[in-house]
Amino acid sequence: MSLQPTIRDTPASSRRGSRRALLKYYFKVGWREPTAIIGVLMVVLFAYLVAVPIVTLLHDAIEVQFGDARRAKSEVGTWTYYYLQRTLASPISKILFWEPLVHTLAIATGVIVISLSLGIPLAWLLSRSDMYGRRWFATALIVPYMLPSWTFALAWRTLFRNRTVGGQQGWLENLGFTPPDWLAYGQVPITVILALHYAPFVILLFGNALRGFDSQLEESARILGAKSGTVAWQIIFPLMLPALLSATILIFAKCLGEFGVNYLLGLPVDYNVLATSLYRSISSRQSGVAAVLAGAIMLIGIISLLIDARLVRESRRFVTVGGKGAMSRNSPLGVYRLPASAFAALIFLISVGLPLLVLMLSTVMRIPADFSIDNFTLDYWIGQNLETVALRTGILLTPDLWAAAWNTLRIVGLASLCSGLLGLLVGYVVVRSRVSFVSSFLRHVTFFPYLVPGIAFAVAYLSLFAVPRGPIPALYGTGLILILALTADQMPYSSRAGISAMMQLGKDPEEAAQIAGAGWLRRMISVVIPIQKGALVTGTLLPFISGIKGLSLFVVLAVPSTDVLTTYSLRLIDNNYTQAANAVVLIIAAMAYFGTLAVQNVTKTNLADGLGG
Amino acid sequence: MPTITLSRVSKFYDSSTPAISELDLEIGHGEFMCLLGPSGCGKSTTLRVIAGLENLTKGEVLIGGRVLDSRDQGIFVPPEKRGTGLVFQSYALWPHLTVERNVSFGLRLRKVSREERQRRVEFVMRTLGIEKFRDRYPSQLSGGQQQRVALARMLVIEPNVLLLDEPLSNLDAKLRLKMRAELKRIHAEFGTTIVFVTHDQWEALTLSTRVAVMNEGSLQQVGSPDEIYNSPANLFVAEFVGNPPINMIPISDGNGEELSVTTKQYLARTFKEIGGVGFVGIRPETILLLPDAAVGSSRNLTSRAEVSGILPTGGNWIVELDVAGAPLFVSTSEPPGCAPGKHVCFQVNPASLHLFDLDGFRVSR
Repeated sequence: MSLQPTIRDTPASSRRGSRRALLKYYFKVGWREPTAIIGVLMVVLFAYLVAVPIVTLLHDAIEVQFGDARRAKSEVGTWTYYYLQRTLASPISKILFWEPLVHTLAIATGVIVISLSLGIPLAWLLSRSDMYGRRWFATALIVPYMLPSWTFALAWRTLFRNRTVGGQQGWLENLGFTPPDWLAYGQVPITVILALHYAPFVILLFGNALRGFDSQLEESARILGAKSGTVAWQIIFPLMLPALLSATILIFAKCLGEFGVNYLLGLPVDYNVLATSLYRSISSRQSGVAAVLAGAIMLIGIISLLIDARLVRESRRFVTVGGKGAMSRNSPLGVYRLPASAFAALIFLISVGLPLLVLMLSTVMRIPADFSIDNFTLDYWIGQNLETVALRTGILLTPDLWAAAWNTLRIVGLASLCSGLLGLLVGYVVVRSRVSFVSSFLRHVTFFPYLVPGIAFAVAYLSLFAVPRGPIPALYGTGLILILALTADQMPYSSRAGISAMMQLGKDPEEAAQIAGAGWLRRMISVVIPIQKGALVTGTLLPFISGIKGLSLFVVLAVPSTDVLTTYSLRLIDNNYTQAANAVVLIIAAMAYFGTLAVQNVTKTNLADGLGG
Repeated sequence: MPTITLSRVSKFYDSSTPAISELDLEIGHGEFMCLLGPSGCGKSTTLRVIAGLENLTKGEVLIGGRVLDSRDQGIFVPPEKRGTGLVFQSYALWPHLTVERNVSFGLRLRKVSREERQRRVEFVMRTLGIEKFRDRYPSQLSGGQQQRVALARMLVIEPNVLLLDEPLSNLDAKLRLKMRAELKRIHAEFGTTIVFVTHDQWEALTLSTRVAVMNEGSLQQVGSPDEIYNSPANLFVAEFVGNPPINMIPISDGNGEELSVTTKQYLARTFKEIGGVGFVGIRPETILLLPDAAVGSSRNLTSRAEVSGILPTGGNWIVELDVAGAPLFVSTSEPPGCAPGKHVCFQVNPASLHLFDLDGFRVSR
C-alpha cells in the first residue's frame, strides 16, 4: 500500500484547513505570550530611536539642504554630490576633513601608544606582583576613568594657559614663564590627557585577563626550563593579545568621538579633529557637510570595530578555558618593590592628584599661582555682590547652577531609568523570543549606537527631530529629545547588561514557575524581576554616571532652557569664568566618582563590567 | 488514567539535524520510565516536549488521551496548563524565595485555601525531610537539600506526571545512592507516573520499570531493565549498557583477526545458521577464567590466551586478555589466579552470546 495516492487525493479544502491549523499552531506557539508583543514593540521603538535617525542623517549628506540650492546648482530636496565633493575634494576640504582626519588619527595613535605603555606595566603590577598598597592602587589608578575627560583639560588650561588667548592667565604664565603654544594647546596636551584618561581601560581589561590567566600554563613552561623573558614573550603575551587588542580598539573608538578635550585645548590654536570640525559645521548650519563628517566618523568607528571583532576571533582560537588551576601567583619584586610602587604613585599623582588639586585651588584663588594668604577666597563658591559684569554671586548661590543640576538629574535620570528598564526588557526578549528575527534584530540594533560616536549620534537626532515629521512634532529644544538620544546612546551598555543578566539567569527558574502553573505576568512579577533587581540597579546607575559626565550629546542637542551641568560649565568657560567653570566641573567629577563607588558597593560589581560610558 | 503518548514526534532546532526524530513512545500510568542515552541524544528534549517547554516540528503529544501538541490540528497547550511537574537538572530554585515559599508557590497560584496549603506543604516537606529548612534560602542549602526542595515543589501540586531531568547528576556518589532509594520510595508512595532522564545506565537499570534507550534523536529500544541488559536490540544498546562494556567481535569476511576467525569457526560448529551474523557480543562477566590445565566441556567455547593486564576495581577484577592480537575483557569477582604475561584458559557459554547482523540488529535464535 503506497502513500502516494492518499496525498494526491487530499481535497483542496482540507489542505486549506490544515494551513489554517498550521497558522493557529504558529500563533499559539510563537505569539501567545506578551513576549512576542513586547518584542514587536521593541523592534519598532529601536528602529525609530536608532535606525531611523542614522538613515536620516546619511540621507542629509546626499540631498540638497535648505539654503544650499544656489550653491549646489539644484533644487532643495534633490539628490546631490555637492556635500561629498565639498567635504572631500574641494579647496576647503583640507580644513574641513583631511587635516582633522590626520589630527584625529595622530592623536589616537599617540594615545594608544602611551596608554598601553603605562597601562600594561601597571596592570601587571596590580594583578601579579607584591607591590606596596596594591589594593588601594587598584581603585586609585582607575579614578581618571570615573571622571569626565575634560576635567583634566581644564586643569591643564589652568596650569599652562598662555598669552595666546585672553582671559585669566595660567599659573606658569603668572609665575613668569610663558609656556610655548605646543605645550599649552593642541596635539601634545590632548594626547597626554586622553592617554591618562584611557590608561584605566588597559589596566582594567589587561588586568582582568592577567588575573584570569592560568598560572599553570606559565609554570609548565618554567618547568621545561624557560626563562621569565621567554615565558612572558612566548606564553603570556600571545594569550593576552585579545585583551590588548580590545583595549586598543576601544580607545581608538573613544578617541574618534572625543569632543570636550579637543574643543578646550584645540580651539585656541585651530587644531581641529573630526569631532570638532563636525561641531563647527553644525554651528555654522552646514548640515549637509555635517552629515558627511558624521558619516565618515561612523564609518571609521564601524571599520575599527569590525577589525577588532575579526582579530579577536582570530586570536581567541588559542585561548584555553581556565580550569581549576586558574589561580594567579604573585611574583616578588625584590629590590624593585619600592621603585615600582613609586612609579604607580607617580602616575596617580599626575593623572589624578595634580589635576584635581589644581582645579580645587583655582576655585579659591583670585589671581592664579599667587599663593599668599590674602589671595585665597571662597567668593567663587559662596560669595555675594561680586564686582563682576555677570555672575555676581558664588557658583553655589547661582540659580543657573541649580537649574542645570536639576536638569541633569531630571534628563539623565529619566534617560538612565528608561535605558535600564529597556535593557532588561531587551535582554528578556532576546533570550526568550521564539521568533529569531526579533531577537537578532534587537541584539544588533541596540548595540549599534556603540559604533557611532556621541557627537555623530547627536547630529543624527538633530537631523531627524529638528522638523516635525509625521505625527511627531519638532523636538529640538525640548528635554525629550535629550532623553531619547541619551537613552538610545546608552542602550549598548544597558542592553548588554540586560542580555547577560538574562543569560546568566537562564531559562530554568522561569520555566520552573511555568511548570508550576504561573502565567507570564505572574512569572515576571514573582520570579524574573525580583531575581534581576541587582541587574536593574546596575543597568540604571551606570548609564546615569556616564550620562552626567557626558558632553558630546548635550553640546549639540541642549539649548539654554535644557542646560545641564556639562554644557553650563562649557558656557562658563566660553565666557571666561574660569573659577566658576572649574567649580562646576569639580561638582560633576564628585558626582561621577561617588556615584561609581556607590554602584560598586551596592552591586559588588567590578567596574570593568560596565566599561564604556 | 493519564497515559503519555508520543506519536511520530520530531523536533528540529535547525532545518538539517533533528534533535529527536519520529519518536513513538507510550508511557503507562504509574510507570517509572527512564530515558537513557549519551549526552545530546535528545532525551532532555523529549522531556521538554512532554512538559510543553518545546513545541513539536512533527507528530503529536497526548496525555490521558488529550491532545496537547499537534501542528496538524493547530493545538498547543502551554506548559502552565499541562499539569505536569518537572525537576530541572540545575534544580532551578528561586533564589529570592525561602524553601517554604518555593514549595508553596504552585499552591498559592492555584488559590488553594490556607489550611489545605499548609497541610500539603507540611506533608511533602516532612516526607522529603526538609521541614527544618523551611525558612532558609536556597543558597543556604547543600546540593542534596536543594534537590529535595525542587522535588517537593513539584510533588506538592500533585502533577499527573513527574518529569525528572538528570536530577541526580549533580550529587556526590553517596548522596546519589540515597536519593535513588528515595525516588523509588516516592514513586511507591505517591503513585505518580515518573519519566526520568539519565545518562547513567545503573541509575536507569536500578530505578525504572521500563527503560527507553535513545541515540542521536531516535529510539533504540524500549523494554524492562532486564530486557535491555540481556537482550539488547542492537549494537548501540549492547555497547552503551554494561560496565565494563561488552566485548564486540566483528566477524565479517575479510577480517583477518584470529579471534574473529576462531569465533566464526566455533559459531559455525555450534549453530546451524549464522549467515547473517556480523558481530558477536560477549559480556565480560559471562566469560569464565579456568586454570591453565583445565579443559572446558565441548559445549562451550574454550580457548587459551595471554593475560595482558589486570585492573582491580575494588572487589572485582577486570582481566585483559590478548587473543591473538585482539583485546578481550573479562570481569570476575574471584581473584584471578594469574599474572600479566601468563597464559590462561577461558570459556564462554554459547547461550550468553549476543549475535548481531551486519546492520547492527540483534539476530534472534
